[in-house]
Amino acid sequence: MARKSSRSLSGLLAVGLGVWVILAAFPFLWMAIISVRVPVDAFSVPPQLLAPFTLENYYELWVVDQFYVKFFNSAIVTLGVLCVSLSIGCLAGYALSRYEGNLGFWLLMVALVFRALPHSTLLPGYQLAFAELGIWNRYETLIIVLVAINQPFTIWMLRSFFANIPKDLDEAALVDGCTRTGAFFRVIVPVMWPGIVTTGLFSFLLAYNDFLISSQLMNADKQTMTAALSAYINADDDAYKLMQGIAGAVSVTIPLIFLVLFFQRQLVSGLVQGAVKG
Amino acid sequence: MASIRFSNITKRWGSFVGVDNLSLDIADREFIVLLGPSGCGKTTSMRMVAGLDDPTFGDVYIGDQRVNDLEPKDRDIAMVFQSYGLYAHLSVYENIRFPLKVRGIPSTEHDAKVRAAAEMVELTEFLERKPKALSGGQRQRVALARAIVRQPNCFLMDEPLSNLDAKLRITMRAEIKHLHHRLNVTTIYVTHDQVEAMTLADRVAVMEKGRIRQLGTPTDIYNNPANLFVAGFIGSPPMNLIDGDIVEGQFRAEGVSVPLPFQGSRQGVVLGIRAEDLRLTDPAHGHFRQAVYSVELLGDATLVSQRFGSRLITARADKGFRIEMGATSAFEAMPSAYYLFDRASGDRIALPA
Repeated sequence: MARKSSRSLSGLLAVGLGVWVILAAFPFLWMAIISVRVPVDAFSVPPQLLAPFTLENYYELWVVDQFYVKFFNSAIVTLGVLCVSLSIGCLAGYALSRYEGNLGFWLLMVALVFRALPHSTLLPGYQLAFAELGIWNRYETLIIVLVAINQPFTIWMLRSFFANIPKDLDEAALVDGCTRTGAFFRVIVPVMWPGIVTTGLFSFLLAYNDFLISSQLMNADKQTMTAALSAYINADDDAYKLMQGIAGAVSVTIPLIFLVLFFQRQLVSGLVQGAVKG
Repeated sequence: MASIRFSNITKRWGSFVGVDNLSLDIADREFIVLLGPSGCGKTTSMRMVAGLDDPTFGDVYIGDQRVNDLEPKDRDIAMVFQSYGLYAHLSVYENIRFPLKVRGIPSTEHDAKVRAAAEMVELTEFLERKPKALSGGQRQRVALARAIVRQPNCFLMDEPLSNLDAKLRITMRAEIKHLHHRLNVTTIYVTHDQVEAMTLADRVAVMEKGRIRQLGTPTDIYNNPANLFVAGFIGSPPMNLIDGDIVEGQFRAEGVSVPLPFQGSRQGVVLGIRAEDLRLTDPAHGHFRQAVYSVELLGDATLVSQRFGSRLITARADKGFRIEMGATSAFEAMPSAYYLFDRASGDRIALPA
């Protein structure tokens, strides 16, 4: 009896999940399908399921329009944000997870407030200051701003991962002969790996997906892919440009899918926090 | 090898006093147990030897060296934690090797040392496993092996057995005792379990509220408790304690009359008697006469209790002894088996032998 009901339950689950996957993936799948069509086929009414295949849109975008420059911009900014925010986040998160005073609590509260502010409210302040300082349109500037926006979240998340690691582990390492720093790198970080990967992914996504800050602070030559795409997608009157934008959107999405698949194991254990416990 | 000395150690957190002016000399190669209820300062005292907590006042010496300002790694100690503190990302082999690696001991010596340590705690066949794939007892063995691999000056053990199930605890207790006999290293062992203290220790320090209430050999502590706290803490079942007064050489409480070798009268005393010193006797002339409140069969003995007010008085009878609950009963003991304490101060009142 129990076996039967659990089988029918898992059948229901499979159907439910299947429906959900189709619903969730449909917009992206449709985008991917029409990105290899010429505009006439792509926007025909009623929609066509089959149409001639072309890579014209991708060629125009990547080769003719030199979209790879934007790709490099994205890579530099994303990696920069990832490195800086993870480094600071790990150190601060570890310290805050082990610190017992009141100050730590208030630091975290302040961080939360900054995280809660809408990003656009920060922009007017930045714009004037950066223009005065002459650091407009530079990778470092964009990285700093994105790190600043992202850091509170990174610290919070890493702190709770670190808090899950028993203090005994630090102390065992200290007694076994490590310095504080040694204990952190030799014992805590290896155990923290799933947490670092998970937090890193969120951090990566924030930088990679950022549109607002990049489009405001950077000129066209140094914009990231996400910001640059808007120029194509907003080109209502030019169906060819729009098609290139769609090809661009697909290009931007694919790395994310691979990223998640690649780190799947660490992400799962990071999210359930099972691997962190000794 | 080293002796350890606490010299007027006080540890405070704000206004909370964790350890209160503690002084204790631990001899080289001695196995000392710090015993007490939770919050009595026993773990804190040990952590100050390790350097994981700093004393607010006072000095800690290992050998002749004052170690207050030394980092834990420079104190040449090894510690076993209650929750084992194993490195989950490393295999058993690498866990045991970790202290050698960190301390820069030539890598040619590692393998022999790791294997010798693993051998000693019977872990040889598990060396390639990760801690996750081990049982609680095996994990504790890894922690022990990691402690002994380096032959430190001193072992610190923080309730190492309290996460194990009852049966395993007894086996591991014997193993720890054997290990100490074999290695002969000064050991501080913290526990709230009096049986562990009695079985393992050369000397026991019974602690309460940050102070040592009595320091002595297990026999000493058991036979000559210095105060009410120690008397009530040591022994299973705990010592029977009855509030009352002495009237002309007789201890008197409701339903109780015990002749004592005591001259005169005294108000506010507590009479103590261990269960195994009480025997059941003819209801006509026992010291404690009351209906039987409960009978508990332990297998190797039978516990018979009477109830006086809110207190139970328990006698340990022969394993074949049987009596109905509610039946009239009487307990008595040799006058020399009684202990007398002052109720207000808790101190022992000497009785002439």
